[in-house]
Amino acid sequence: MLSLYLPGDTLLHRQPAGRKLALLIAAGIGLFLVKSPIILAAAAVAAAALLLSVRPPPAQIRRQLFGPFLVLAAIFIAAALLDGLRPACIVLLRLAALILLASAVTLSTRTSEMLEACEKALHPLERIGLLNAARVSLAVSLVLRFVPEIFRHYHEIREAQAARGLHGNPVALVVPLLVRTLRAADDIAAAIDARCYPPTPPASGRPQHIGKTPSA
Amino acid sequence: MSSTRDIVLVALFAAIIVALGLVPPLALGFVPVPITLQTLGVMLAGAILGPVRGALACLLVVLLVVIGLPVLAGGRGGLGVVAGPTGGFLLGWVPGAFVTGWLVTRLTRAKAGTARHVAALFAACVIGGILVVYAVGIPWLAAAAGFGLQRAALGTLTFVPGDLIKAVIAAIVARSVQRAYPMDLR
Repeated sequence: MLSLYLPGDTLLHRQPAGRKLALLIAAGIGLFLVKSPIILAAAAVAAAALLLSVRPPPAQIRRQLFGPFLVLAAIFIAAALLDGLRPACIVLLRLAALILLASAVTLSTRTSEMLEACEKALHPLERIGLLNAARVSLAVSLVLRFVPEIFRHYHEIREAQAARGLHGNPVALVVPLLVRTLRAADDIAAAIDARCYPPTPPASGRPQHIGKTPSA
Repeated sequence: MSSTRDIVLVALFAAIIVALGLVPPLALGFVPVPITLQTLGVMLAGAILGPVRGALACLLVVLLVVIGLPVLAGGRGGLGVVAGPTGGFLLGWVPGAFVTGWLVTRLTRAKAGTARHVAALFAACVIGGILVVYAVGIPWLAAAAGFGLQRAALGTLTFVPGDLIKAVIAAIVARSVQRAYPMDLR
């Protein structure tokens, strides 16, 4: 599966992921505190400029922003009819700025860096034993590995059913897909266990040497 | 959440939710908006895996969205979705799957007949997969758009018929899957 990340070396690309996320959260809070349409318009223009500075291909921008801006248009029309033009503009500019900024962060940050930043943010949970970063990484890589597989199974089942004259019955499609996937889970779990993954950290602070005796 | 099998089940179900987003939306004549099968996966996660694993599967999908993978229906993803006015409908998946799974463990009996079992599953999917998800999504939309709750709720009414159809499908699917591959809900 392709990431939304765009390789590049712009100013935004060079910032660490944690800083970008922190600034995005701060900007989000700030945008909801500001009530002046002029400042919000400036923020929206700046956010758009920031997004364009990552040099995104137009097709990707259209696909990612078409849905959100359809929702924004609906919100704008409802607000304009019921509350007046000024509040409608405030809402439109605020949400547009936020969505453009967030998209700029996503497009300019590698998936792996973002995952690392998330793991760092979740570190307190790991310390009290609620979370294990190795398991989260294992789960993420399993999803990425199996989405194409499951989608292929979906196509196989659909073709098999179309051949028997069943067309587009979601129940008949999803049941075999789920049963097949749940059965595969046992084999996959056994394969992972056989490889001793995820590795359990050594009980003592010292690293364990496998296959050679530690020097005294 | 300790065994490898639990992690694999959570990950595979997250992969199913993502894969269902790749399926082209069904356009039904009497429903105003096309139905994407992705939220069907959310109901099924709770109803088939159980509350904790179902919620974790949804949380995993949310994590993939946050780190910038196009895992949502129509190839969407990234922080723009989470930060946008409809972000609550995505985050609501996690408690939604949990409540669905919890209700399924409460409402269903092992020896119940097909009709009663499907009815209980349908009720769990409606409460968890629709009411709880909307209970997160509507206040989020209201806050983002500066609307009152009523107006935000009115705006989401167009999605209710599609979601009810999905709850029916999810109940029938969950029943069939439990008979073909019985497993404990956790």
